Amino acid sequence: MTPDVATIGLTKSYGQTMALRGLDLQVEAGQAYGFLGPNGAGKSTTIRLLLALQQPTSGHASVVGVDPQRDPVTVHRQVGYLPGDLALYPRLTARRHIAWFAAARGLAGAAAVDLVDRFQVDVDRPVRELSKGNRQKVGLVLAFLGRPRLVLLDEPTTGLDPLMQAEFEALVRETVADGRTVFLSSHELDEVQRVCDRVGIIKEGMLVADDTVEGLRRAAPRRITATFRRPPPEDCFARLTEARVVTRDGCTIELEVTGALGPVLADIARHDPVDLVSRPADLDELFLRMYAGAEPSHVR
Amino acid sequence: MSADITRLDLILRRRSTIGYATGMTLYTFVIVALYPSFKTDASLDSFTGSTAAALFGVTSSLTSPAGWLNGNIYANFFPLILLLLTIGYGAGALAGQDEDGTLCLLAVLPRRRRDLVAQKVLAMALQALFVAAAVAVVVIAGRSFELSLDAVRVVAVSVTSLLLALDFGLLALAVGAATGSRAVALAVGTTAAAVCYLISSLAPVVHWIRPARYASPFYWAVGADQLSRGVTAVDYLVLVAIAAVAAGGAVRLFGRLDLH
Repeated sequence: MTPDVATIGLTKSYGQTMALRGLDLQVEAGQAYGFLGPNGAGKSTTIRLLLALQQPTSGHASVVGVDPQRDPVTVHRQVGYLPGDLALYPRLTARRHIAWFAAARGLAGAAAVDLVDRFQVDVDRPVRELSKGNRQKVGLVLAFLGRPRLVLLDEPTTGLDPLMQAEFEALVRETVADGRTVFLSSHELDEVQRVCDRVGIIKEGMLVADDTVEGLRRAAPRRITATFRRPPPEDCFARLTEARVVTRDGCTIELEVTGALGPVLADIARHDPVDLVSRPADLDELFLRMYAGAEPSHVR
Repeated sequence: MSADITRLDLILRRRSTIGYATGMTLYTFVIVALYPSFKTDASLDSFTGSTAAALFGVTSSLTSPAGWLNGNIYANFFPLILLLLTIGYGAGALAGQDEDGTLCLLAVLPRRRRDLVAQKVLAMALQALFVAAAVAVVVIAGRSFELSLDAVRVVAVSVTSLLLALDFGLLALAVGAATGSRAVALAVGTTAAAVCYLISSLAPVVHWIRPARYASPFYWAVGADQLSRGVTAVDYLVLVAIAAVAAGGAVRLFGRLDLH
């Protein structure tokens, strides 16, 4: 089955600045894919290239099985989009926005009724009078209008209150359950792990991780705190390649383990331990390490 | 081809378009109504032929109906207002909306970019047509104020003025499509219009500029006293050709523009 989103060596530069560096990405149909990365990592650029809003410097993309550069009309017919910096026409009401965009896509105005109700959109005031969150709700209605096969969302929950965030997450789950695909960019791990089946992490234009949330969790660093009868030698864990000493306080050593536990436990056992505490994998730590520049640990 | 984007832009700009049309209509009415008071003022004709008169586009007797309208409306103020409208819209329609962030929602609709540009061009033409038509109606109605002019010539000069405004508006649109910058599009459009106006208006009195007048769209629209002698097919052809080249350029350049 053709993936709904696929990129091969997708590269984009703006003058001397490289925004994307050979991005290889694949999102299967019927998935919710979270695209995580800090500001300026290349998330929005990727989405713009997928929509043919911009042209790649090199590489290729396929969206709903079509090259967006060759046939953007076919792609746009099947894709809904919420831009990261949503801008609407200030003097028009949400009702006029929704009616106009529905008509432009050949849809009846009634196609949006359910979405408007769900997000409790204030449809009768000019959008310039709406708060950021309320404008974002209009943007979400426009993105999901007409039940598109693929929905590309750039920072979709910006400005939404917790109730509306929950409503958005429910909508994403329903969309995926319907066999459609959601690709959402975010810099918030919590949001992505709540709704996404798979997560890609982008940093400085490169994909540094791409896995399921569970897969990433398995690869996330664990913390082990070991207490010994006597202070162990300084270099007692130096030979371990997938563990490092984080803190040392007399007889107690805290280790961060990114690989198999066996060699670590074997080394601990050699130095007469009296206590051992292992903390579960911490996804936040994994992301912080990746954002901060540590080596990628789980690239597909 | 659908015209929904054209309709949207006309709705968004209806206040400014109505404002331009109302202002020009009132101004034109005042000029038309004042003609009987000045048509016998011989001192006005001494102004004709001077460099200062040329700067205002005055090339013939100000006491004749055609000279009065040329000197007060068609050779200067009317093209200026139309140019403000078309260059402003041309700079804002693609580059400006991209800078504002509203263009991306239009660009992801299921239609080709050239259709989007074509609808913007149509919106520009309709806005300018609305203003030009309002002025033409007042001028033609002005025959009751002793401004006896051939209505066909008034309409013809209104059309060439409209084409002139479209030439520079489409230039601004093309520059915006090439650069994505409203400021650059405005700067290039207005500078080109100002230079071309000076060339056309000074050509009759500054001899070394005279050969360059053919390069100015103003010459083909209002600079050769079209209100008196009529508009020729060549006038139309040159103005339409410039518009076609600029529109074609806008389509081609917009196809390559990275949007935000």
